[in-house]
Amino acid sequence: MGNDLVLENLTKRFDHIVAVRDMNLEVKESEFVCFLGPSGCGKTTTLRIIAGFEAPTEGFVKYKGEVINDVIPQKRNFGIVFQSYALFPHMTVAENVGFGLKMRKVQKDQIRKRVDELLELVGLIDQKHKHPPELSGGQQQRVALIRSLATNPEILLLDEPLSALDAKIRVTLRAEIKRVQAELGITMIYVTHDQEEALSISDRVIVMNQGFIEQVDKPFEIYKNPKSEFVADFVGTSNFFEGELSGNMVVNKSTGLNFLISPDVVKTHGIKEGKVSISIRPEKVHFLEDIEHNEHIYEKMNIKQGEIEVVTFLGVIVRVLIKVADKHVIVDITEKDFEKHLLRMGDMATLYLPPEDFLIFRR
Amino acid sequence: MNDSERIKIEPIRTVIPDRAIVYIIVTIFAAFFIIFLLYPLLQILKTSFGTEETIFGGGSSGFSLRNYIEYFSKARIRRSLFNSFYVSIITTIVSTTMAFLVAYALTRTTIKGKPFYKAVSSLPLMAPSVVQALALISLFGRNGLITNWVGGKWDIYGPTGIIISEIFYCFPYALIILITTLSAVDTRLNEAAESLGAGPMKVFFKITIPSARFGIFSAAALAFNLTITDFGNPIVIGGDYNVLATEIYMQVEGFQRFDLGATISIILLIPAVLAFTLNNYFTKRNYALISGAARPFLRPSSSSKKAIFSTVSILISASIIFLFWAIFWTSIVDVWGGRSGQSRQVLKWLTTFSTRHYDFSHRGRSISAVWTSLWISMIVAFFGAWLTLIAGYIVEKRNPRGKQILYLVTVLPAAIPGLVLGLGYILAFVKVNWLYYRASIIILNVIVSNFTLGMLSTMTNMKNIDISIDEAATSLGADLPKSFFRIIFPLSRVSFWNNLLFFFERSLVTISAVIFLVSPRIKLASIEIIHLIDDGYLESACGMATIVFVIVIAVHVIFISIFKRRGIRV
Repeated sequence: MGNDLVLENLTKRFDHIVAVRDMNLEVKESEFVCFLGPSGCGKTTTLRIIAGFEAPTEGFVKYKGEVINDVIPQKRNFGIVFQSYALFPHMTVAENVGFGLKMRKVQKDQIRKRVDELLELVGLIDQKHKHPPELSGGQQQRVALIRSLATNPEILLLDEPLSALDAKIRVTLRAEIKRVQAELGITMIYVTHDQEEALSISDRVIVMNQGFIEQVDKPFEIYKNPKSEFVADFVGTSNFFEGELSGNMVVNKSTGLNFLISPDVVKTHGIKEGKVSISIRPEKVHFLEDIEHNEHIYEKMNIKQGEIEVVTFLGVIVRVLIKVADKHVIVDITEKDFEKHLLRMGDMATLYLPPEDFLIFRR
Repeated sequence: MNDSERIKIEPIRTVIPDRAIVYIIVTIFAAFFIIFLLYPLLQILKTSFGTEETIFGGGSSGFSLRNYIEYFSKARIRRSLFNSFYVSIITTIVSTTMAFLVAYALTRTTIKGKPFYKAVSSLPLMAPSVVQALALISLFGRNGLITNWVGGKWDIYGPTGIIISEIFYCFPYALIILITTLSAVDTRLNEAAESLGAGPMKVFFKITIPSARFGIFSAAALAFNLTITDFGNPIVIGGDYNVLATEIYMQVEGFQRFDLGATISIILLIPAVLAFTLNNYFTKRNYALISGAARPFLRPSSSSKKAIFSTVSILISASIIFLFWAIFWTSIVDVWGGRSGQSRQVLKWLTTFSTRHYDFSHRGRSISAVWTSLWISMIVAFFGAWLTLIAGYIVEKRNPRGKQILYLVTVLPAAIPGLVLGLGYILAFVKVNWLYYRASIIILNVIVSNFTLGMLSTMTNMKNIDISIDEAATSLGADLPKSFFRIIFPLSRVSFWNNLLFFFERSLVTISAVIFLVSPRIKLASIEIIHLIDDGYLESACGMATIVFVIVIAVHVIFISIFKRRGIRV
C-alpha cells in the first residue's frame, strides 16, 4: 500500500476552462488502470499532472505517502510513453533507449548491457543502430516503451500510445504491453479514447467526462453495470429511450414508446419516480421469431414493431437498424440467426425488449 | 531482468530546477533589451524633447518642443520629410511592380532560366546598400561611362539617382515576398475563370492580382520602409536633395546638433514603424490566405507570354549584373570614364587596367578596415546565432511567463531604422568607456538590429520540433541545459548555421546601423566606401565595395556547398 499513487481533490483550471474537477483516485501498486473518455474529458491533463508537466490548481498528488506536487518531472522517475513516441531522431535506437541511464551517470558498459536486454525483450536487437525515422510505427512504439522502462521507473504513464497505429498492430502491441507489465510488476496508467483497448487490458477502468470521473470499476462491471447514461453510451452501443417512470413503467407520451422495467432493475438503480433514461444493449433485443411461441413469457408492452431500414454486416455479428415510431433501434444478432429469419431491408419486423435487460438512469 | 538490479541507477540530482533557469534567462534577455534597445530609444525621445543641444551638456533638463518647431520652421530641413515620402512612394510603386512581374515570371510561366534569374535577383542583398548608387555614378555620373560615351547632359545626383538606386535595393526583398505569394495561391481559380470565357488579360487583372493582393501590399510596405530608412544610397547620390536619413546624419555629424538629429529620428520613426506594422499585418493575412495550398501543375505558357516575361526578366537581371559589373570594372580600370573630351577613346580607357585604386592607404583609408569588418562580423555571427537560438528556444518551447512581452520586444528591432538605433547608442553610451567608439558598441548594435529575423527563423525551426521531444528528455532525467545541448541544438543545426550566415552577411554590409558608431579607432569597410566617395575616389570606393561583395559571395557559396554536401536543404 505504501507505493500507491493518490490523487486528492485534484482540480486543474486553464483560464476559465476546468479540465479536471475535484478528482479523487487511488492507483494501487502494480495495478494497470486506464483513463477512458472522449477528447477533452481531461484524461491527458490528469496524466500530465501526474507526470509533473502541469501543476494542479488545487489538490494534491501523493506518492508513497508524500505530496509530490512540487517535485520536478526529472526527479519523479515516472516513465512516460507519448502518443507521438517522441523518439530523438538524431540518435540511434540504442542511444535513445540508453538516454535515461546516461542522464543518471550509469557506466557505459552497464548501459550497453541493459539496452541490449531491453531490446531483446521486444525483439528489436537487430535495429540497435538504426535511427527512429528508419523504423516502422510499431517498432518505434516498442522503442519508446523500452526507453521509458530503462531506468526502472515505478510507474509508467502512457498517453494514447497506440492511436497512430493500424488495428492489427494495435492488438499485438496491446498484448505486449500487458505482458511487459505483468512481468515487471510495474504500475501502469494508460490513457485512451478507445474503449475496446481499455476494456481488454486494464484491471480497472476510469471513465471520464468533462473533467469528472463517471465511474471507476473493473472492465466487466463498466460494461455490464454502467452507473450513468454517459458510461452506458460511451462504452459499447446502447439503445436509449426517454420517459417518465411511475411504478415499473416508463411512459413517453410524445413517442408513444412505453416499456415495462423489471422491479429488480428499478431497485438496483435506486430511482423512484420522475424523468428517466433507459437503455438496452443491441445484443439483448430479440426478434420475435427467435423465441419459442410461449406468449405468456412476453410482456406485451415490450413487443414493438417496425421497418428494417439498414442491415450491416460487421463480421462477427449483423447489425440491424429498425425504425420504431420515429426512433431507430439497433439490434445485434449472429449471422446464423440472420440467415434463419431471412430479414431484408424494407421488411416489417417484430422486436422484444426484455424488461430485465434494461438499465435505468435519472435524467 | 535480474541484471537490472545489479546496475546502480542513481536518482537525478539537479541543482537548479528548470523553471528557475528559464526565469534567469528571461531576466537576462529582458535586461539586455532594456539596456541595448529601449534605453537608447528613450534617450532619443528625451533628447528630442530636451533643451540641450549636445549630449555633453550634462543631461537635458526640461521639456520643450523647440526642436520640433525648429524642424518644421526651417524650410530646407522640413523639406526632407516631403523628399523622403516622394522618393519612397515612387520607389515603392516601381519596385513592387517590377518584383511582381518577375515573381509572376518565376512562378506562373514556363520560361527557361529561372534559377539564373532567381540567383541574380538576390545579388543586391549581398552588398552594402550603397553599391546601387556607386554603380549609377560610375555609369551616369558626371564622368560616367555612359555619360561620356553618349555625351549626356543629365544629372544623376538628386532624387532621380536616389529613386533608381532604391528601386534596385528594394527589388530583391519585394521579390521574395511575391514569389512566396504567387507560388502558393490556388491557380485553379484562374482555370475556372478561363473555363468561363475570360481572356488572359482579364484573368491577370481580375483574378491573379486580386488574389495576391496581401502579398503585394506586404511587399509595398516593406519597400517603403526600406527606402525611407536607407542611408547609404541617398548620402552618396543625393547631392543637395536631403531626405530624413541624410538630414539626421548631417545634423549630428555636421553641426553636432544631436537634439535636432534626435528629433528628425522620431519623425522618421513614424512612417517607418507604420510601414513595418502594415507589412506585418499584410504578411499575416497573406499567410492565412495561402497556407496549406499545394502548388499545382503549371500549364505550358504561350509563346507570346513566354516572350514577354523572358524579356522582362532578362532586362532586370541584365541591369543588376550590369550594375555589379560597372562597380567591378571601375575599380580595375586605370581611368574610368576616360578623360573628359576624349569620349571617343572610351573603349581604350575601358581596357587599360590598373590596380592602383586598391591602394587604399594612399587615399587616406586602409585595407585594415576590411579585416576589422571581418572579425567584427565573425563575433556578431557567433553571438547573434547563439543568442537567437537560446531566445527562440525559451520563448517557443518553455513558455515562460511574460512570453508575449518578450516576443514583442524581440520584434521591435526590425521596426526601428538602423540609423535611429545607432544614434540612440551614441546618446545612451557616450559616457561608457568600454562601449563608446569601440568595437563592442558596433557588435551589440548589429546583433540587436538584426535580432528579429534571426529569432523568427529560430522559432520557425522550433515549431517543427515536436513539443513532446523536450518533455521526453525531461521525463528521462535531462534538465534544461542537458536537454538543450543534447537534443534541441542537434535538431536545430540548419537554422543555427543559417543564422550564422545571416548575421555575418548583415554585419559586413550594414551601413545605416553603424554610420554613427565608427571612429578613428574602429573602421568598417562598408563605411570606408562612403568616405572614399566623399573624398572623390570613386574608383577606390568601387574597389572596397568589390572586396566586400566578393567576400560575402564567397562565404555564401561555401556555406551552401557544405549544406548541399550534407544533404541539408537551405
